[in-house]
Amino acid sequence: MPPFVYHALVGFIVLNAVIGMVTYVTLLERKFAARMQSRIGPYYVGPHGLLQPIADAIKLMLKEDVVPTLADRWVYNLAPLVFLVPCILIFATIPFAPGLGVADLNIGVLFFLAVSSLEIVGLFMGGWGSNNKYALLSAMRAVNQIISYDLPFIFAALVPVVLAGSLQMSAIVEAQRGLWFVGAWYVLGPLAFLAFLVATLAAENRVPFDILEAESELVAGFRVEYSGMKFSLIMLGEYAHMIGTSFLGALLFLGGWLGPGPEWLGPVWFLLKALFVFLVVTWVRWSFVRIRVDQILAISWKLLLPLTLLLLMVTAFLVAWSAGGA
Amino acid sequence: MARNGSFLGETVQLVGAVGRAMGMTLRNFFRRPVTVNYPTVKRVYPDRFRGILALTYDKDTGEENCIGCRLCEFICPPQVIKVEMLKAEKRNWAKTFTLELYACEFCELCVQVCPTDAIIMLKTFDLATADRREMLLDKDRLHALGLQHEPSWATGNRLRDMQAPPKVAKDPGKAEAKEPAE
Amino acid sequence: MASTATTQTVEIGYGGNERLIMNMGPQHPSAHGVFRAILTLEGETVVAVDAVIGYLHRCHEKLAENLTYVQYPTIASKTDYVSAMTAELAYVASVEKVGKIDVPKRAQYLRVLVAELQRIASHCLWLGTWCMDMGGALGGGATIFLYAIRERELILDLFEALTGARLLYGFHQIGGVRYDVPAGWAERCRQTVDLIERRVAEYEAMLEGNAFFLVRTQGVGVVSRELALDVGVCGPLIRGSGVGYDVRRAEPYSSYQDFQFTVPVETAGDCFARYRVRMVEFRESIKIVRQVLDGLPEGPISSRPGVKSVGQVRIPKGEGYTRVEGARGELGCYVVADGGAKPYRLKWRGASFCNLAVLPHIIPGHKVADVVAIMGSVDPVFGEVDR
Repeated sequence: MPPFVYHALVGFIVLNAVIGMVTYVTLLERKFAARMQSRIGPYYVGPHGLLQPIADAIKLMLKEDVVPTLADRWVYNLAPLVFLVPCILIFATIPFAPGLGVADLNIGVLFFLAVSSLEIVGLFMGGWGSNNKYALLSAMRAVNQIISYDLPFIFAALVPVVLAGSLQMSAIVEAQRGLWFVGAWYVLGPLAFLAFLVATLAAENRVPFDILEAESELVAGFRVEYSGMKFSLIMLGEYAHMIGTSFLGALLFLGGWLGPGPEWLGPVWFLLKALFVFLVVTWVRWSFVRIRVDQILAISWKLLLPLTLLLLMVTAFLVAWSAGGA
Repeated sequence: MARNGSFLGETVQLVGAVGRAMGMTLRNFFRRPVTVNYPTVKRVYPDRFRGILALTYDKDTGEENCIGCRLCEFICPPQVIKVEMLKAEKRNWAKTFTLELYACEFCELCVQVCPTDAIIMLKTFDLATADRREMLLDKDRLHALGLQHEPSWATGNRLRDMQAPPKVAKDPGKAEAKEPAE
Repeated sequence: MASTATTQTVEIGYGGNERLIMNMGPQHPSAHGVFRAILTLEGETVVAVDAVIGYLHRCHEKLAENLTYVQYPTIASKTDYVSAMTAELAYVASVEKVGKIDVPKRAQYLRVLVAELQRIASHCLWLGTWCMDMGGALGGGATIFLYAIRERELILDLFEALTGARLLYGFHQIGGVRYDVPAGWAERCRQTVDLIERRVAEYEAMLEGNAFFLVRTQGVGVVSRELALDVGVCGPLIRGSGVGYDVRRAEPYSSYQDFQFTVPVETAGDCFARYRVRMVEFRESIKIVRQVLDGLPEGPISSRPGVKSVGQVRIPKGEGYTRVEGARGELGCYVVADGGAKPYRLKWRGASFCNLAVLPHIIPGHKVADVVAIMGSVDPVFGEVDR
């Protein structure tokens, strides 16, 4: 069939798969967090709570759509979409197996990083258009935080790129056949992975960096005036971004679809590794209190950015030395 | 955040603290949850549980224990009990007895003062309803509740016996029977 | 004094010294009850705090004039409802002092036992809600909250086996206590207290040395020693600022002088110091509980016969004030008796009421996020603020 139709079909399947996975990842997080807190999570809707995400989705779809009187209508209504679209678009570049992806661009990583930074526009639109002091405060904090953490995020994600020598995602995975990049050069790989995880936490507004939503102060931050389907779009976008960066982390550092066993088992390994990254992030989320916004910015600019810059430079030096030198 | 002097030391300490905290959470992951799946599983209530109120019948004769003396009505702090006495030759009865359970404090003072152990509390609290009028318990309802559920340990006489200074001293030297000061 | 703040419309412009008046309203996830703080913000920094209270006023003091001495102890527990045993004790001890009524030794020891168990339970709740305020209801704070509540439930189970109620007990009465210890309870109490001691060590492992926690609490909300003495705060607030004042040591009541315990004092005066004070108080309370269980004397639990009628206790003319060390500080009750079965006047001195007075002095200069950390470390309960 014509490649256009083929790619559109794959895109459609991936879109549905992503949305389905995102809803069930919320359930996974709730059960995981509940077990860590000595309780069981959703239990009654469906066997062991398996139908809970469906029930939540139906409830959100049936809710009344409330728009505040003095809200800026266009900005307010468009914000969830502007937030959601980049978060789903990043899945277009992730290959789930060699050849199985929507578009395995030769600048894949660059596209991913660039597009995922666009969500900040939607976030700020939501905060501004809500005509709510709390939402505005949180949107300001979010802009501060996400801009500060995008740089370390990009530098940490560039370390595997330099190690592999290519921006194409499948090439990066192929370069990990011998050794996953998380173990590269003994100390470099783990540090880069750690920096990547911390930057992910912050770019994703997860505790300990979730000052923007800070339930006990700002009660849901920029999302506070959204209800019903718009709220579910925002939640979808957040979790999609979360899963997307987990997939990226698994791909860049943990070897993507490489794993023991036959070739067709690759996507399963990929999924498991991405879920592992997601669960580590969730584990951190449920273990710590949050820190203040000025301390968050201090960590980014004074600690994480110099560290990732240093890592990148050292990686580049080591790669050049081992390739060109002896 | 990053200090120049002991940067390495602080980082090591931070990593250690982070590891400890996350280790604690992971340890809890493998402990049994403390959830009790009410209503399929019910908790075991202790003997003295202060649940819903009920009126009792005499064990031997089957008559109502309540003599309509209204002591419970007078002592109730939120004044939720209303009693009317019915005088008769051998003993008195309660003509009407209403208890507004939606305002009840469950303080057990009415149980404490009852001279005939008529009013007691039960080991259950399951009386959620959508209609407030169902929580205005009248005499028939109170007697029916008393037969349906398990009563708690506390009755008026038992509580007063527990609280009273011993009248018959086991050791004659320790007879601190009456109230020492008024 | 607490006038309603005039509403102002402020342009939200952040080009300089524009101030934003934000309401941390009575309905708020971290208001610890119903508390309204009108914050004046410059960017993220709070420059002024206007505290509005009174949302939980239930006329306790007037109610006491219409309820007799045997009826009111069940209501007294509703002032400091998180720490109900000490609240009832304040009222009952005050009436006993005015009426010169003795309390038998066993009853005194039982009162100490439940007061210390209640202090442990109240501090569990404090730790949980404070970490939840700082960490979010969907985050790490909620984890510590659920652990702390799990431990508090163990103590509430003990109280349920003792009195039949879990939160508002009605355990005290004029002249003694209402319930005696059932069979097997002492052993269960010992096991619970051992378990809680181990779990408190787990909380400390999760929080101490954790840079995230330390940067949120160290240097935040510093109450200097002079300010503490000027404003008249009490409880862990003043012990965290260098003044070792504990009512159990200053004016021992109910046989506290028989027990060995230390009163923790920290000098830093910030949230972390108050946290340390309360964590040490956990262990000291456990120590006292063990001493009471070891040395519980036999005897009656009340010097007066059990309540049989509503006007049973009559207190001759007189007035007096007794204070107890509640979980939040000095809780006091001033009773004026006129010879009848009801007090002529009752006045509560709420610990949190006096502690809240320090907020307009220590909050300005901090960020919005610190406001919740400071409120949590002050640990107000609005039952005793508004009564």
